[in-house]
Amino acid sequence: MSDWPMSELHWLSAAEAARAFAARRLSPVELLTALLARIERLDPTLHAFTRLDADAAMDAARAAESEIASGRLRGPLHGVPVGVKDIIDVAGLPTTCHSKILLDNVARADAVVIAKLRQAGAIVLGKLSTHEFAIGGPSFDLPFPPARNPWNPDHHPGGSSSGSGSGVCAGLFPLALGSDTGGSVRNPASACGIVGLKPTYGLVSRRGVFPLSYTLDHVGPLTRTVADNALLLDAIAGHDPADPGSAATSARYFGSMLDRGVRDLRVGFVRHFHELDKPAHPEVTAAVEDAARVLQAEGAEVRTVSLPSLNEFAAVNRVILCSEAWSIHAPWLRSRPGDYGKLSRQRLMPGAFINAGDYVGAQRRRLQMIAAVEDLFNDCDVLLCASSMDPASRIEDAQETARTYPRQARTPFNVTGHPALAMMAGLASNGLPVSVQFVGRYFNDATVLRVAAAYERGTEWHKRRPPIG
Amino acid sequence: MDKALIAKLAQAAGLDKALANFPDDVAVAAEQALGHRETIAWPTDPAVEPWPPMRAGSGP
Repeated sequence: MSDWPMSELHWLSAAEAARAFAARRLSPVELLTALLARIERLDPTLHAFTRLDADAAMDAARAAESEIASGRLRGPLHGVPVGVKDIIDVAGLPTTCHSKILLDNVARADAVVIAKLRQAGAIVLGKLSTHEFAIGGPSFDLPFPPARNPWNPDHHPGGSSSGSGSGVCAGLFPLALGSDTGGSVRNPASACGIVGLKPTYGLVSRRGVFPLSYTLDHVGPLTRTVADNALLLDAIAGHDPADPGSAATSARYFGSMLDRGVRDLRVGFVRHFHELDKPAHPEVTAAVEDAARVLQAEGAEVRTVSLPSLNEFAAVNRVILCSEAWSIHAPWLRSRPGDYGKLSRQRLMPGAFINAGDYVGAQRRRLQMIAAVEDLFNDCDVLLCASSMDPASRIEDAQETARTYPRQARTPFNVTGHPALAMMAGLASNGLPVSVQFVGRYFNDATVLRVAAAYERGTEWHKRRPPIG
Repeated sequence: MDKALIAKLAQAAGLDKALANFPDDVAVAAEQALGHRETIAWPTDPAVEPWPPMRAGSGP
């Protein structure tokens, strides 16, 4: 029997739920029942799901309950529900990429990250809304409606992992997988006030994940707490010899330093991103500056550093992304352009007009940008900067969404591959979250999570809940 | 970009259907493609290679 009131079960973190299962104070069936009731109530407004797999999830919860009762713990996520962005293959379910193009594309096998989640005991709850092919959105001309922001459903929840952010934020599930090619894990984390990590390039397998850009794609965790983020990363990280971008690294135990604090860590503060390159909303500026003060108060040394401009990082990102995405989508764009949404057509066709010299040139410039970030890490342990420069706009205001979406500081770390985490750093006066970003050395994702955990303890923004009931 | 040039490039890329049915989207895409050129500090040193380089495995 549960120790928690049914009305509060949906706010349990994954770590709390797993501990409660192991101690027999809560069962996976009880938790899933509470979450399904909440999904039934809230998802008609939020549209986090493209496909809820309630029956399979309940079967898995019953199996987990039985296994745990008999003392057979499968892993640290045994019995914990997870939502999956609908560009990631789950065997037997369609991977639609939120597109008419792939409505009948039933996955024959689990993506590597899903297989790893199942090994850790997690329960796949269903497939989650995304911008079409992780690029075209938020849009109203697709087969499924766009996800909405639990802090105010009139506003977008960020993207492209929009259902992942919305659902975690609203307490529909404690864990979700997203993907990040130009910021698509960290954008919903910023807009929804949760924690989203783009791991080091190559740390998490992309096999079984529909590609957008081979150079820039990452799979990453979205959660409500930093500890849960480390827990989910532990479950999905690891070398995959069948993923050409996968790194043979021994990096693991990403939560091992969460309690160490930041005393004596050297933090490089990239102020020009939000002060000069894309001047931020005043409440975002205040939150990012306050984050620097919080880390200083916890014992870190904060110094101002600089990198190439955000506009240049964004341009390199777009040339590479558009070129590689065109090589993937050209056959469908030629034969079925009307089956894409308008934003996808506009964002995927530029690759047809970029010449080979520009693509290779952008890849060469990327090498220099990597060197610039690596230079900073000679004297810094972690970087601090803004994530989104504005709170989320109204979802039906296409003009304002088009203006604010590119005002962000996430693409630099898709270009360079360094681990980068965005998390809530306050609430703007309109009641929507603002955010901050931490960046680390390659395969030092644990240090990024360590700094995020120290910031979380110092601020407690993670305890705020959206007013959605 | 000149409309006639966009049309020629789109046709060369096989985008005839898109050009016929969604000419505005094709134009937006073409403008976006060229919009990045001025922003990037293109490397001038020929020794700057793309990264990562080809990986040829570990050998015999």
